[in-house]
Amino acid sequence: MTDVEPLAVTPALEAHALSLVREGSRVLDDVSFTVAPGEIYALLGGNGAGKSTTLLTFLGFLSPSGGSVQVNGREVGADVAAARGAIAYLPEAATLYGHLDAYENLAYFLDLAGRRVDRAALEAALDQVALPPEARGRRMQTYSKGMRQKTAIALALLRDTPILLLDEPTSGLDPVAIDEFHAMVKALAAAGRTVLMVTHDVYGACQVADRVGLLRGGRLVGSFEAGPQGRIDTETVHAAFAARGAS
Amino acid sequence: MSLVFRIAREEWRLWSRSRVVVIAALTIAVLVGVTSLLTARGVADQAANRTARQAEAEAAFFAQPDRHPHRMVHYGHYAFRTPPPLAVFDPGVDAVTGQSIFLEGHRQNTAMFADARSGADLGGFAALTPASLYQLLVPLLLIVLGHGIVLRERESGTLAVHLAQGQSGLTLMLGKALALAGVGGLLLLPVAALALAAIAGGEAPLAAVLLVGGYALYLAVWALFVLAVSLWLDRRSVALGMLVFAWLVTSLVVPRIAIDAASAAVEAPGKIESDLAMLSRQRAIGDGHNAADPAFEALRKQVLDQYGKQDVAQLPINWRGVVADYSEKKLTALMNEIAEDRMTREAAQSRVVTAFGIVSPALALGAASRALAGTDLATHHRFLRESEVLRYDFVQALNNLHARALTYADDAARSSDPEAEARTRVSAKAWSLLASFRFVPDPASARAARAVQPLGLLVFWLAVLCCAVVVGARRLRP
Repeated sequence: MTDVEPLAVTPALEAHALSLVREGSRVLDDVSFTVAPGEIYALLGGNGAGKSTTLLTFLGFLSPSGGSVQVNGREVGADVAAARGAIAYLPEAATLYGHLDAYENLAYFLDLAGRRVDRAALEAALDQVALPPEARGRRMQTYSKGMRQKTAIALALLRDTPILLLDEPTSGLDPVAIDEFHAMVKALAAAGRTVLMVTHDVYGACQVADRVGLLRGGRLVGSFEAGPQGRIDTETVHAAFAARGAS
Repeated sequence: MSLVFRIAREEWRLWSRSRVVVIAALTIAVLVGVTSLLTARGVADQAANRTARQAEAEAAFFAQPDRHPHRMVHYGHYAFRTPPPLAVFDPGVDAVTGQSIFLEGHRQNTAMFADARSGADLGGFAALTPASLYQLLVPLLLIVLGHGIVLRERESGTLAVHLAQGQSGLTLMLGKALALAGVGGLLLLPVAALALAAIAGGEAPLAAVLLVGGYALYLAVWALFVLAVSLWLDRRSVALGMLVFAWLVTSLVVPRIAIDAASAAVEAPGKIESDLAMLSRQRAIGDGHNAADPAFEALRKQVLDQYGKQDVAQLPINWRGVVADYSEKKLTALMNEIAEDRMTREAAQSRVVTAFGIVSPALALGAASRALAGTDLATHHRFLRESEVLRYDFVQALNNLHARALTYADDAARSSDPEAEARTRVSAKAWSLLASFRFVPDPASARAARAVQPLGLLVFWLAVLCCAVVVGARRLRP
């Protein structure tokens, strides 16, 4: 067996010395990390740590004050459309149109993304996120938060993009739904999708992610990888999270 | 383009499923429909009434028996103005100035006075007409519909989802603008129907098309304003408050300020002042009913010299008729001078009011609408001028008859000598001296020319708002 040096792989996502100043305050400060294709990376942190802001810079919604963000090796600012085309984004407290049902919502937003899918594909995605069939034809304004979240996740799946950005994806979901969601994310990663999720759920992050980064006050203050058992040690991360004051 | 349409279609679907929006739209539709019908009926009733009165007045005038020509000068006659077909949509100043004038000797009758001018400048503000509905109420519907068109997406988080699908802010805004434009187009259908009916009724297609275009421009200005506010502000409640405030100021407050400013900038005497001023100058001209008035001494000498006579009784023409002709000519020149001055001042006031269109699209549209409909102040002034020409020609024709068909001796003795009085009566056939009067609207090109400036103001608004929307769309963030 020969020890062959691995081929250099272009990261799906890369933040390099990323800084962001908003309204005079430094929201992100020298944040650097990469997410390899097919990897699940969780950014962990408390409220105001800069997690969601980091995601928004990858989408080009916010421009870095310093450093850079790249998607598939290309500077986001140089081609925002290309970056957004490669990413499916699930915002925190995802809300689609309340006056439309699940099918109409998915069809509309997929149209905007330039994707046309048939009814069977919609049903398959909704099955995958376990949205009850009897709810699918109802207007979303009658949905619970969890059901809305599931529909938004279905939209992200149907986008069929190589990268998923998930902002507090399990917020509002019941424990069973959370387990199902984690299983789904792992399956997606196994199929080659790159996932960057931000969360303040230490247990969830350690359960699903290949690597965890800990954000505090806009700085990346810790990084954790799976040990020999193939899992990140929850206790270690929790201790770091608590010791460093969360945000 | 299909994406823009897709975004617009989704907005229409949202509105169609919103009870508040549907009720608001139906209310406006019913108001527009009912007002159009009532205005059309009112104009038709007026037309029928006017036709009947015109026939009645003509029959009564021509049925007058043989009599002294000067009695016919005082008998008088009416000049009627048929409103153009588009008056059904925008009666403009007609509601205030009236459409008929009583023509008689030595007087210029007019319905113009200060209060009427104020109402006229507002385009019949007090009356609910289709035009005033469009100018005032339809923007409110656009505000109700559109104030949250972007902010709703921002507040609910769907703006991020939209943008994350890879669409630019500009595409999203084009879709939203198309959605509002669609509503505007729907709201324009009654205007288009009325314009078509007007064309069928003989209106020039150019004027009708430009009228519809003017209202389309106005609704586009409001639609873009609503969109821009929703795009630039952060909260729906603030946007709604600001839009309603802007509507209040531009549609209700500025027009009143404009009228006050016009009155302050261009002073126009009222009818009583004008009449008093004219009476004092009229005395210097002399009383045409009194041939011995010293004011006519120079004329007497001139006429006697012309005919080589020593006394007016020796003249081959009736001296009294000569005096009547001369005094009417002088008096008319004086009346025309005062009337022209008043009309010039009124036109200047109207221009000041229209200039306020730079801060009030409603004023700009009102001016364009009245000009295109042929119901503006300029049309009314032309009616006054043309009817005055008719009055003067008729009176002078009778005065000429007075001078040439009657002898001075008979004329002087008619109050004491019944036979002389009988000889001073001229045949009733002479009453046909009155030419038939038919007032026709200005050609469409002339009306369009008058509408260019106010329409230009609307285009200016549109351009400014387009820039605001494009700049806002380019920097659109969730």
